[in-house]
Parts: sequence; C-alpha cells; structure tokens
Amino acid sequence: MKRRFLPAPASGNATAAALSVAAALMLIPANLLPVLSTETTGENRDDTIFSGAMQLWQHNLAPIAIIVFAASIAIPVAKLVGLTWLLLATRRGPARRPLVLTRIYNLLDGIGRWSMLDVFLAAFLTGLIEFGEFATVRARAGIVAFAAAVILTVLATEAFDPRTIWNSQPDNRPTPTTP
Amino acid sequence: MSGPPGSLECPVCGLRHLAVGLAPGEKARCTRCETVLARGRRLGPEAPFVFALSGLILAVPACLLPFISAGKFGDQRVSLLFTGVGALWDNGMRALSMLVLFCGGVVPVGLLLALAVLLAPAWRDPSGIRRRELTRLATFLERWSIPEVQVLAVLVALFKLGKLVEVRIGPGFWCYCGMTLLLLLALRGFEISHLPGGKANPAADAPP
Repeated sequence: MKRRFLPAPASGNATAAALSVAAALMLIPANLLPVLSTETTGENRDDTIFSGAMQLWQHNLAPIAIIVFAASIAIPVAKLVGLTWLLLATRRGPARRPLVLTRIYNLLDGIGRWSMLDVFLAAFLTGLIEFGEFATVRARAGIVAFAAAVILTVLATEAFDPRTIWNSQPDNRPTPTTP
Repeated sequence: MSGPPGSLECPVCGLRHLAVGLAPGEKARCTRCETVLARGRRLGPEAPFVFALSGLILAVPACLLPFISAGKFGDQRVSLLFTGVGALWDNGMRALSMLVLFCGGVVPVGLLLALAVLLAPAWRDPSGIRRRELTRLATFLERWSIPEVQVLAVLVALFKLGKLVEVRIGPGFWCYCGMTLLLLLALRGFEISHLPGGKANPAADAPP
C-alpha cells in the first residue's frame, strides 16, 4: 500500500479532493495579500507574489523573474489543475489513458516542492535586512496563506492514490522488470 | 498486500515485479505505468553511506558559520542559517518559522542521519523492526526535505537585493550547498522505497 501521511479516506480520493479545494481557497488570499514589505529611506513598498516577480522583471532580471513566477504562481496553479484532472478522471472506475495520467501524477509529485521558494525567500530576507530606517524587509500575512496553500497541495498529492488510475486494469501479476 | 520474496511493487500503480540486477546507469521501469523503479548504481555500494556521512559533517559548519552578510552605510549584519527563522518568530509568524526551520534544516539533517544509520555497514538489526521504523521515518522525511529549494531562494534573494545592500556570501552557505548536494547524491544512489517497510517493499509491513 502507498504510505500516507494522512489516514486513508473511507472511499476513493475524497481526502485529496477536500485538500485540493482548501488549497485553491488559500491561493486567493495568498495572491491578493502582500507577502513582503520593504522599507528603505523615503520609500515603503508592499509586494504581492505577482508584483514581486514583476519588480524583478522591471529590474532586467528576467531569468530570476521567470524562476519566481514559475515556482510561486505557475506550479501551484498547475498542481491544482492537474489534481482536478486526476480526480475527475478517476471518479468513476478505471481511467482512460492511464499512462498520460500517471505521467501527470509523477510530474505533480516532483515539482510541488519548488513552490516553497517564496516562503524561504521571505524568511531569508526578513532575517537579513534589518537596518532600521535605512532598509528593513518584513514578511506579511500573504506569505502565511501561501505556505498553507503549498502544504495543502503537497498533502493533496500525497492523499491521492495513484492506483485508482490503474484499478481494474489488466495484468496484475508479477513480471520481470525491463530496463 | 504482501508479495513473494524478491519482488518489488510499483509505488504508483501497484504492479508487482521480480527484482533483477541492473548494470550501472541502467533504469528499471514499471512494465505497466513506466515509473522508474530503480537505477543501476554507478558507484560502489558504500558510496551513498559516504555521501550521507559527509553531508552530516558539513551540516555542522552550515549551521554555525556565517551564511550571508549584508552591509548598509557601514552597518554590517551577519545572518546564520536560522536567522530568518528567528525573525519570523519575532514577527509573530511562529508556524511559518517552524515550517522553514523543519523543511530547510531539521528534516534534511534528520534524513542524512537516518540514511547514515540505515546504510552503515556495521549496523546490525536482527529482528528488522528498527530498520523498518527508520525506513518509514526516512520516507516521511524525504518528502519534506527541501534544502535545494532553500539554496535557490538564497540565490534569488542575492539578485533581488541588488543595489539595496551590499551582500557577501559566507562559508556557512557554501557548506549548506555541499550538504544539499551530498544529500541529493546519497538519495540518488540508493532507493529508500526498496528497503523493508519502504513504498516498493511493503511485504515487510507484516509482523515478522
């Protein structure tokens, strides 16, 4: 059996569905509230996840902006879309095109951790930049909602049982592995 | 769900396979869902243990030595690995600070420790119970261990700070990068899921 952090649900992937909905709800405040505030002499600035990535872009740091955008916006959204697809496809019995769904599942399982980038970034900057009125960076409420959303998507992927993609598929006997 | 001895269960689709030897660099894929089940080792069987032990040694200076120092108008501020954790805690974001502490520090070090014990050539556990428990712990820690994301976050931060302050990378950061690399190498050369109690070997879940 797949080892779970959460107890197995009574039927199907109900826990994964519930966690996905919770993650989707958490992404709303995560993207609307500021995640970081920067105070420098004569200038105060609140940044949301999106405006933080845009600021990097405007400062001619396009590759870094793309990394932040991918980790903080694209991956969480892709995870939720992918999970929704998996949950809908496995809702009633065996899924069509199980190989494609398995690849999606493996991809979601692998990329989810990179979303934590913004959380580490906020923690690091808050700890390092404390120069009173000259320069101070503080983490704001949005980052808490964002971290919650990331954790919920990780737990949702873990709660999803990938065997439901293959249930009732033929060929469930021991076979030699092929390289 | 217990399989015959010498069988591996695909952790994704559940199909059972007979374990076969692999040449260095060769990959074994599930015959049904094509998930990679195992990779042939390129290095010797004790290499993952050496990586884990070296990673543990590097973890000490990574935690104690200056990570990054920042300067503004002559004022210098030295940050250690866990300075951000303390700042978030003081900021009232206690759960978040614990998350950063665990995912970036405690869990990777715990995973290195678990791997070092599991792989230690001298470790004897006749009943196999402790090995199974430790494998379960390592499986859990592997999911939440993300030091490579912390390394990327620090690099992004260095670019982001740009002209705001002068930053200097300290030896603690390089040790942390080394620790991260060694952890990834240890995990690459060794499949936790294949140990008794791991995802691909649940046969050992049954009491002995």
